[in-house]
Amino acid sequence: MDVTLETEHAADARRKEEALAGWLRERSPVLLGFSGGVDSAYLGCIAVQALGREQVLAVIGRSPSYPAVQWATAREVAERVGLPILEIDTHEMDDPRYAANPTNRCYFCKSELWTLLERVATERGFTTILDGANADDRTDWRPGAKAAGEHSVRSPLAEVGLTKAEIRYLSRAHGLPTWAKPSSPCLSSRLPYGTPVTAPRLRQVERAEEALRQLGVLGDLRVRHHDDLARVEMDRRELDEWLEPARLAALRDAVARAGFERVALDLRGFRSGSLNVLGGVSAA
Amino acid sequence: MSAEALRQALAALGIHGSVEARGALAILTLNGAGASLRDPELRAKAVALASEHGFTNLALEVSDSPGEGAALHRD
Repeated sequence: MDVTLETEHAADARRKEEALAGWLRERSPVLLGFSGGVDSAYLGCIAVQALGREQVLAVIGRSPSYPAVQWATAREVAERVGLPILEIDTHEMDDPRYAANPTNRCYFCKSELWTLLERVATERGFTTILDGANADDRTDWRPGAKAAGEHSVRSPLAEVGLTKAEIRYLSRAHGLPTWAKPSSPCLSSRLPYGTPVTAPRLRQVERAEEALRQLGVLGDLRVRHHDDLARVEMDRRELDEWLEPARLAALRDAVARAGFERVALDLRGFRSGSLNVLGGVSAA
Repeated sequence: MSAEALRQALAALGIHGSVEARGALAILTLNGAGASLRDPELRAKAVALASEHGFTNLALEVSDSPGEGAALHRD
């Protein structure tokens, strides 16, 4: 993954990082919704550097929609940057409004998460609750942002204008292992809107993606759940290789073992928010 | 949005198979001899054709029987 920036842009990114540190100092102590992904890992790292670890707590929300491998990564990353963590169980799956999988599903998930974090913040005396949304996140369909607004959750990366590319660049400069990590939204995002979110469906997706990683699929990867059919989206650069017959057969077997009757490989490759496009809530 | 129209358009490109529509998703199953979808240029043309026919996604079904789906005969 190329995360080099032109000199001018690199300087701009560093200025934004200084602004971020200043922003955090004005709002300390902070409680961070933490997934261990590129954005929250970077934010946690800067928060610890700017405020010290006593003024920061990262909270991991655990649920069936959060892949087990990601929990492990989140713990690992937190340990590496010296970020204190708290793990809590979230129960969005018990909310029928979430389980029905409407187009604003993320709103109900985030409402649950931020309600729990508000409680933690009050109990432990944290002034500001943060998420890892960045400046690019404002362009896609993100109903979860509405829930964040309702719970006074702040998005400092977005507020200082840091884009994903800049966050990757700065993450690498800080030696964070997440700098090249593909984005990893929750497993429910693999189900088309209207397909009920159930634990067995999420497990199918998780098992299929894990199997494909073990086979050696690199970069962005999503197994989209279309009932009996799994539609695999992978990085376009990987497609040439995986369309080779023997590898394609291995891919099919791996996904079929996760419980799908039919397996298809998307010929356009990975697209963030692909099911938003299929569901007609964002442009093709 | 017509699966049959897309099938015919793909055949004209040298991609022979059947097309199943699931909403805006087109699922292509190759039926044997035909051009190789490992060619990025041809793949891009196929995806563009799907788009022209109203589909947001074109996916290649990977069959478990040799000679279908996975069989890209010119490889």
